Amino acid sequence: MSDTNTTAVAEEKVIGNGMSKKQAKKIRMQTMTKQEIGYLRRKAAVEKVWPIFRFIIIFGLSFVILYPLIYMVSCTFRERSDMSDPTVMWVPRNYTLQVLKETIKAMDFWNTLKNTLVLNIGCSLVQVISCAITGYGFARFKFKGKGLLFGIVIMMILVPTQVISLPLYTQFRYFGIKGLFSINLIDSMATMYLPALTANGIRSGLMILIFRQFFKGLPKELEDAAYIDGCGPFKTFVRVMIPNAASAFLTVFLFSVVWYWNDYYVSSTFFTNNQTVALMLQNLDSQLKIALFNDATVEISPREQIVWKEAGCLLSILPILVLYTCLQKHFTEGIERSGLVG
Amino acid sequence: MSKADVKAGKKARKKLAYEKKKVLYGYGFIGLWMIGTLIFFIVPLVKSFWYSVNDVSIGEGEMITEWVGLKNYDYVLTVDENYADYLKNTLLETLWKTPLIIIFSLFIAVILNQKFKGRTFARAIFFLPVIIATGPVYKIINGDMGATGNTGAGQFSTMFSTDLVGELMQFLGIYGLSDNMSTLIQTVADNIFGIVWSAGIQILLFLAALQNIPPSAKEAAQMEGATAWEYFWKITFPYVSPFILANLIFTVIDSFTSPTNQVMGRIQTMKEGWFFGYASAMAWIYFGIVLVAIAVITLIVNKFIYYEVD
Repeated sequence: MSDTNTTAVAEEKVIGNGMSKKQAKKIRMQTMTKQEIGYLRRKAAVEKVWPIFRFIIIFGLSFVILYPLIYMVSCTFRERSDMSDPTVMWVPRNYTLQVLKETIKAMDFWNTLKNTLVLNIGCSLVQVISCAITGYGFARFKFKGKGLLFGIVIMMILVPTQVISLPLYTQFRYFGIKGLFSINLIDSMATMYLPALTANGIRSGLMILIFRQFFKGLPKELEDAAYIDGCGPFKTFVRVMIPNAASAFLTVFLFSVVWYWNDYYVSSTFFTNNQTVALMLQNLDSQLKIALFNDATVEISPREQIVWKEAGCLLSILPILVLYTCLQKHFTEGIERSGLVG
Repeated sequence: MSKADVKAGKKARKKLAYEKKKVLYGYGFIGLWMIGTLIFFIVPLVKSFWYSVNDVSIGEGEMITEWVGLKNYDYVLTVDENYADYLKNTLLETLWKTPLIIIFSLFIAVILNQKFKGRTFARAIFFLPVIIATGPVYKIINGDMGATGNTGAGQFSTMFSTDLVGELMQFLGIYGLSDNMSTLIQTVADNIFGIVWSAGIQILLFLAALQNIPPSAKEAAQMEGATAWEYFWKITFPYVSPFILANLIFTVIDSFTSPTNQVMGRIQTMKEGWFFGYASAMAWIYFGIVLVAIAVITLIVNKFIYYEVD
């Protein structure tokens, strides 16, 4: 025991005596076992090679993700004839805004965009609030049948919209109380707003779950203090819980906007005309033919059609892309803060 | 009765009233959702099941149903020429793609969790699919125009996905790989495209889980001299394991809504042709199989999950 102690002390003195790093390392190595040296060597090797590998992986996969976007931009600003030109891959031979203008016309872009925004932002806002209220109810109150009701929330996450979309259609077509009155809600925004208002819109099950987890993670003392001061549960929720949940609200809201923006299945069930950007893009083919040639039967070569399609893609992701670029931090770090983890 | 007793009794009653009130408030908070779920979820769900065992025709103001038992299911599985094939394809694809997506997203999450220059930028790129992949844009960039009714699209439909590596090679200035090699790479690349583009949310969730690993665990591993490999299996993996299940379920459910899902496309076609009975039967078969699969997976995976005890 004492022997090793003294050598250690002696070594320390030597190292402290202005030796070069290399010499110090050599002495340190002497006291190590073979395994330890091997471990250090391997570690050093990995630390040198790994960043190169990492760069290659990230670069390659980034290309996979960015390729379609770059291609979109490239297609949008080229002439139709460039599509058939084998020498044109990335950089168009003839720059033109013609395609973009035509696509905007075919999609009736500004009107559609306005429509989509009204639907999208409104529904998302309403749904986030209704889901937050429901999530809070599940997180903080005890009542009969809570387990069963929460089971239904889980079912809402699991059941694909396709299963219930057929009866939903008839429900909205003849909305009302049987025998008393019924209104046709198809093609009206109520088909989206009503479910959103009652926490039953697109992916609302997931949103209720996220809010429940989040509110469960907040300290109970927050509310107790408010109760003692004479605040009712609802007032407590508005005054105390919501300000504490601002970041969760923002994250869920952003995802909600994205999901509503991208949805074409639900909206194609309830809308017969193309009211949203996603629907317009989905049916761009026929729109193009009507808008550009006044004839739905004209055959355009698929290869040349790509330019309009890509332009349509670019137009329809641009608003959401701008949103993403501005609020990227909230998209990527929000899930962490929303308390879904743990 | 002494004064104190009366006071205590009053207090108890008051407390009971308070508890009762809280129950009522609980119902109050979820009331709106309960009404909505009844109208927009439970009733349609039951109706949809009802349609699947009935012959459905459209009457005035309502659906006319006629009980046929399992005839719709039988028709869909044996007579309908596309459905059985589509179902098999879709289920098989989900079966092999889901584990790959999970492994891939965990791998990427581990990489994106390391410190290096340009990490924020790399993250921004890798999460980009989250905002695009669920919409019709993905359908176009994935080259699947079938659902838009565009005939003759086949010739260029695979152009975007299959030739990706070729593009990358050309982009980097590498030409003339042998044909075999490039075919192999292309098959891999074809699938890489699908996997990368459907792994956004999963990466996000894993990354969040990784950032929740306590620094003490990391320090302990370093003190003990764990290699990166050991660190991954002994520390990282147990900590993220609850999220493997969550991601598994999310991936499977997400495949329902994937724009490239053949089964859902077929259901949509049937619905547009007003074959409500058949469409419902198709939806229920698919959903039933997936639900059973999820239940089995959850039961199995739950045994291997490490839950940290607080």
